[in-house]
Amino acid sequence: MLLNRLKAGGPAIAKQGILVAFILFMIVFSLMSDRFLTPDNVMSVFRQSAIIGVMALGVTIVVIGGNLDLSVGSMLSFATVLVVDLHDKVGPELAIPIMVLATLCLGAINGFLIGILRLNSLIVTLGMLSAIQGLVLIYSGGQNVDIVDQRGTWFAIFGRGSILGIAAPIIIFGLLAIIFHVIMTTTPFGRKVYAVGGNPTASVFSGIPRSRIVFTTYLISALCVAVAAIILGSRVMGSQNNVGQGYELQVLAAVILGGTSLLGGAGSILKTVLGVLMLAFIQNGLILMGQPYYTQWLVTWAVIIVAVWLDVAAKRGRLFSPIA
Amino acid sequence: MNKTMRILLASCGTLALATAASADTVRIGITQNNVGIDSYQTTYERAFIAAAEANPDVEVIVLDAGGDVARQISQMQDLIQQQVDAIIIWPTDGQALVPAVRNAHNAGIPVVVTNSNIAEAGMDFIAAFSGPNNIQQGIYSAEMMCDALGGEGQIVQITGMPGYTTAIERQQGFDERLAEMCPDVTQLDIQPGDWNRERAQRTMETFLTRFDNIDGVYSGDDNMGVGALNAAIDAGRAEGMVFIGATNFAVGYDAMARGEYWGSVYQSPVDDAEAALQTALDVLAGEDVPKLNYFDTPKITQDNMEEFDRPVF
Repeated sequence: MLLNRLKAGGPAIAKQGILVAFILFMIVFSLMSDRFLTPDNVMSVFRQSAIIGVMALGVTIVVIGGNLDLSVGSMLSFATVLVVDLHDKVGPELAIPIMVLATLCLGAINGFLIGILRLNSLIVTLGMLSAIQGLVLIYSGGQNVDIVDQRGTWFAIFGRGSILGIAAPIIIFGLLAIIFHVIMTTTPFGRKVYAVGGNPTASVFSGIPRSRIVFTTYLISALCVAVAAIILGSRVMGSQNNVGQGYELQVLAAVILGGTSLLGGAGSILKTVLGVLMLAFIQNGLILMGQPYYTQWLVTWAVIIVAVWLDVAAKRGRLFSPIA
Repeated sequence: MNKTMRILLASCGTLALATAASADTVRIGITQNNVGIDSYQTTYERAFIAAAEANPDVEVIVLDAGGDVARQISQMQDLIQQQVDAIIIWPTDGQALVPAVRNAHNAGIPVVVTNSNIAEAGMDFIAAFSGPNNIQQGIYSAEMMCDALGGEGQIVQITGMPGYTTAIERQQGFDERLAEMCPDVTQLDIQPGDWNRERAQRTMETFLTRFDNIDGVYSGDDNMGVGALNAAIDAGRAEGMVFIGATNFAVGYDAMARGEYWGSVYQSPVDDAEAALQTALDVLAGEDVPKLNYFDTPKITQDNMEEFDRPVF
């Protein structure tokens, strides 16, 4: 049925594999738990997804540019430890800019090694993943950091505040998603990122400064991590040294789920948002249903596979490979 | 060629070390799990070195596996090569380290396991285990929960990382004791928080959506417990909710002082480190050391917290 509609061209929505999967999945979950689609729960999931979500926006741009960024997990640990630690030492108004600058420096290192020196992004960012974790441990001496005056600081607005009843993390995530979507779809920079990721050689011959574009994508990724760290630090009011451990894989899963090609040159910020929300709703929905954690692992994996399949099927207009 | 060189180097090193150590000092090697990854392990290492330095008859070789099983196995081999008098190990993986521990045992070097125990298959090869009794800690938490709730209510549980011995044992002790001591306290659900405060906060938020009535929360450590507390405060539902944790962290201690957190289990990394060294010394002195040596991890609540120092982590 779905197949026929796909073949017939169908309504535009049938071509949006990830959206179809998302809607199907939301319907199934709301049938199984009456708490699932309540405004409170939806808001709560949006808020929970903001940290992974903001990071995923930056990584989407890196991946569209034809590279990977696996260092975002420990970069998040670094940025969160730094901003929380400095909060009590120099105050939030200085802690935030210092942390953002330091995190951008890490992004610049990634960008230099991958953009300018043209090293393999998988190797570089995998190395940075452990190098930055080491940096965090050296900086903190292994101690957890906490903000002492948790109720009295204005730093709390980023993770705990709200405007017109909408939680601040949702607003930050939403605004950034719109800004990056506009940048990627309407500006020359956005088109250049697609060009560089799609065909690096051709892009260079077309006069696109490939090195500079790749460098910039890593700066954007680092900036997103810095923003995520502000939300995380403000929400938790403290930080473990390894707080971002494993986040890089959740981020990558969301980006892939959103249909961004790991080969570069194709992908969409808005679909990444869908991917992020889908993963967050899965975790939330399964807990609402009282499923044990291993079910969550299994179902998350299965949903990623089905969604990716639907997405591929929508693109080629049939469910199975024509060659098989 | 390469191999010969390595053997030569190793034997030179061993020779140098052997001559350096005088006759009556004992040499103890320790390979730790992952120093620096959390405050507990960092404090543990510092306390261990301090305790060793305070004892003129002890010389220690302090190694850290950085959470890497393969590195810890090679560190075990190095320590065996160096013919230390005893090895203390904080296993990165209770199962995978069994062969390495057996090698040390076969080489005649007694092995003391510290903090988290080795798998059952390795128990024959160790001289002793020294560490906290996590099942007992779960029991203590269950008893505090019962007391705080007056024997009835509905609670949720947030556990540590799935698969970790500490997480499994604390949950086991808690579940069994709770069912036995107050059957009228029902556990609505049990979900992991992965020892991560933000993850625990997310789990608690979902619990709050799902259940209209939660009387108590048991978390596998205070770090997660404070995450759960934050979620309840944000939802405006913390009032009257009982929060019980384990491994008292500074944040938990502070929340207890504010009256927001009910109780926890006090586990000192300093006691942990000193107990490990003492156990190794007792083994070397030829004393009859029991297989399982637990150091005391008492209950800490709002009522008795002034008897304890604020944790350094």
